Amino acid sequence: MDPVRINLLGVPGWAVLWLLAIASFGVFGRRAWQIIGLLRQARPENRFGQLGQRVRHFIRHVLLQRRIFQERSIGLPHFLIFWGFVVYAACFNWSLIRGLFPFLPVPYPDEVGIVAFLLEAFSLLVLIALGVAAARRAFFPPPFLHLSLDANLILSLIALLMLSTLLGLGFRQAAEGPAASLPILSGALAGLIQRTPALAGAARGWFQAMWWLHMIIVLAFLVYLPYSKHCHLLASPFNVFFGSLRPAGDLGIAGAQEDQAGGASCWNEFTWKQLLSGFSCAECGRCDRICPAQTSGYALSPQQIIQKLKQHALAAGLGGQGAGGPGQPAFVGETVKEAEIWACTTCLACMERCAVLNEQVPIIVQMRRSLVGQGTLDRTVQDMLAHLTRYGNSFGKSDRLRARWTQSLGWKIKDARQEAVQYLWFLGDYASFDPRLEAITKLTAGLFQKAGVDFGILYEGERNAGNDVRRVGEEGLFDLLREKNQQTLAKARFQTIVTTDPHTYNTLKNEYRWEDPAVTVVHYTELLEQLITSGRLPLARKIPRRVTYHDPCYLGRYNQIYEPSRNLLRQLGCEVVEMPRNRLWSYCCGAGGGRIWMEDAPGIKERPAESRVREAAALEQVTTLAVACPKDIVMFRDAIKTTGQEGRLVVKDIAELVAEALA
Amino acid sequence: MLKMVPDVVEELVVAADGKSLDQDTLRMILSEPSDHALEQALLLKEKHGGRVTVVTLTAPEVDEALFKALAKGADQAIKLNVDQTVVGSLATARALASWLRADPQRQAPDTLLLTGSYAIDDLEGEMGPCLAEMLQWPFVGVVTGLALDASGQKVTAIKEFFGGLRGEYEVDLPAVIGIQAAARPPRYVPIAKIRSFMKSATLGAAGVAPPDPAFALEISRMYVPEATGRAVMVEGSPEEASRRLVEILHQRGIV
Repeated sequence: MDPVRINLLGVPGWAVLWLLAIASFGVFGRRAWQIIGLLRQARPENRFGQLGQRVRHFIRHVLLQRRIFQERSIGLPHFLIFWGFVVYAACFNWSLIRGLFPFLPVPYPDEVGIVAFLLEAFSLLVLIALGVAAARRAFFPPPFLHLSLDANLILSLIALLMLSTLLGLGFRQAAEGPAASLPILSGALAGLIQRTPALAGAARGWFQAMWWLHMIIVLAFLVYLPYSKHCHLLASPFNVFFGSLRPAGDLGIAGAQEDQAGGASCWNEFTWKQLLSGFSCAECGRCDRICPAQTSGYALSPQQIIQKLKQHALAAGLGGQGAGGPGQPAFVGETVKEAEIWACTTCLACMERCAVLNEQVPIIVQMRRSLVGQGTLDRTVQDMLAHLTRYGNSFGKSDRLRARWTQSLGWKIKDARQEAVQYLWFLGDYASFDPRLEAITKLTAGLFQKAGVDFGILYEGERNAGNDVRRVGEEGLFDLLREKNQQTLAKARFQTIVTTDPHTYNTLKNEYRWEDPAVTVVHYTELLEQLITSGRLPLARKIPRRVTYHDPCYLGRYNQIYEPSRNLLRQLGCEVVEMPRNRLWSYCCGAGGGRIWMEDAPGIKERPAESRVREAAALEQVTTLAVACPKDIVMFRDAIKTTGQEGRLVVKDIAELVAEALA
Repeated sequence: MLKMVPDVVEELVVAADGKSLDQDTLRMILSEPSDHALEQALLLKEKHGGRVTVVTLTAPEVDEALFKALAKGADQAIKLNVDQTVVGSLATARALASWLRADPQRQAPDTLLLTGSYAIDDLEGEMGPCLAEMLQWPFVGVVTGLALDASGQKVTAIKEFFGGLRGEYEVDLPAVIGIQAAARPPRYVPIAKIRSFMKSATLGAAGVAPPDPAFALEISRMYVPEATGRAVMVEGSPEEASRRLVEILHQRGIV
């Protein structure tokens, strides 16, 4: 029983199918070509190497949908709908080719027992999954899920596809007798049809109608798809395949042909991969739900940034509406407001959460670069950058005072520029200049000395490493700071760099160009753990207490260093109690990406650091919040005061706790 | 006109002669009111067109300031061959005056010379009025608002006085105006842009007759403020404190 062997008003079925297929593939192809054309006009970025790793990436995030499962309610349903799509797309193409070329000596997919079984099984699974998805949208939508008509239309169309298949199978069996496969529901349907005289006689016609209905919906879907949020289904596999394989802590663009300092102010100044993000976005809102800026009530919504970029690229790139042209709003500054762009703490949570592996942070930094280029930036940030340009630190203090804290130590730290050392201690601005941190810095120096670590510092030769400067969008100043530091470091003799600040750690490790590949960068908590484990730093006593540990973004999410601090705390005799948001999902303190230099936006709900301190204070009998970043000391000690948790919780640097156990 | 001043972020060290700052530890930075004068000039240029020329004496780190001015939008930067660190305000005015006189174009009727209204080593802001006097041009100082007349030959300068009083002055060009604050804070210019100007732009140089070094105040002594430790905190209730205060004043023979 061949569904194309029918006559529609005198036109043979196969010819009708040809007409429909050409029309819908034509529209689809035209749209796809337009989108590819947009990407080709964007800036270059090399995402083509390391094929093996890309394939692994693809298997993990497209075929296995790893990140989709991070949200339980929709994880399995999405997985089933995805695989249902794969099966149905394959069978559709098979059916289509068979229908277009009726002389081919192959059966239709549903005439093959095992395939019919697969179709039927998936139609049931997908229908159930669709029910969950629809119920989620209707009754328990998570915040920031975009509840569009688009989405409901797509869910309905998929449901129709499943129903037409199921009914088609039923009618075929009613007309031709039981199938060879395992009829799950279609057998029962066939029985029902045979018992209904009105349908039984016309079962053959009904089967053909279902086949045509199915084909027409798919062809309509094909036309609609690239115009809807369901474009993610076409774009995201590519988005994942071409995803970044470099450390997230490196903001450089591989294969960039022009200077990146100017950033991007309109669509074709972004890279093709950044534009592809918009077409891959499924408007699911995972990024918004995890974003500390959004949660605190700042203007930033990572989802909206990506969506606006897509809409702008389409309007400006295809519609000829140039952003910033006469009567058109500028993209950066108007369509995407400055407040949105500056609110980002670059904590990376959105990028870890995004199921299609979009890269929101580099896109935001690109826009910041363009704002810096226009001189549109916060007064306070401007002052910081001026300080950094002139004195190499954000405190606006003379660079000659960088090592002043060493004067009251009572002993001399080696100058790594003059004598060889094993460890070069790169302190960063906060540990060097902030009077609130001087005691901790001296304590840390004391720990290294006590353990007999052969270490030195660069004294006034050290400059701010530039992590925050780069994330604020001042690429030229970052280059300058990196050059100066690398010149100084080239003269120093050392084996390993140890840093206090995780931000410094990240940029030295991932963004500096080391001629000597043997140069390694470690964080001071890693070194301290090593010293204690190896017995070089013998503990005098245990300090038993319940402690919770805050993973700094730039140590944890950015560089996957989670355990040394925890091991260290346990060796000190502490019981480590985890906050609900820990390790990969640690909640940003709000200081990163240059936010520490900016004022809080007026009218925000709760500062990120306050939310974090409350989270720690909610843990039973936990009295200590242990941190491993100088900025965390500043942020959390302040938040303890503003939330009234004094007496309930103290913020301690890991080094302070180690020192306590030595005394 | 841009002026460099000692950077007080760095520790200032009095030189061995006890009359000057130690040159080895001294760093120079663009005077803040100068930066505002430049910003005001750029704002006027953006609004009305024209050319902005920045002119300075020679001083340590002045090149950086000039390249930055070019990156911000100045059209030309000129360095006079007079060492700023050894001349005072009056001599500076002389050097500038002779440079301006050297070319009639520089005294054209649409010339507006903006200077910083003061500098940390010229708190009275002598340089501007001295220069104006030498050129016989009008001068207004401590200006916080400046608008160019439609004719292009006149400016309206706004000066703020104590108690919320504002003075509006109509000044014929050419004129010297001492800027206290530009209409908006000095703009930020990214380092990449400054560096590209450092690579591609050149700074102009001009020679003027060196001013007589006697044209300066003679400094008799330069010293770090001495801590005297003579302050006394008077504590206690208002009655006790006032009694104690009267006692002290009596003891010192003041009342």
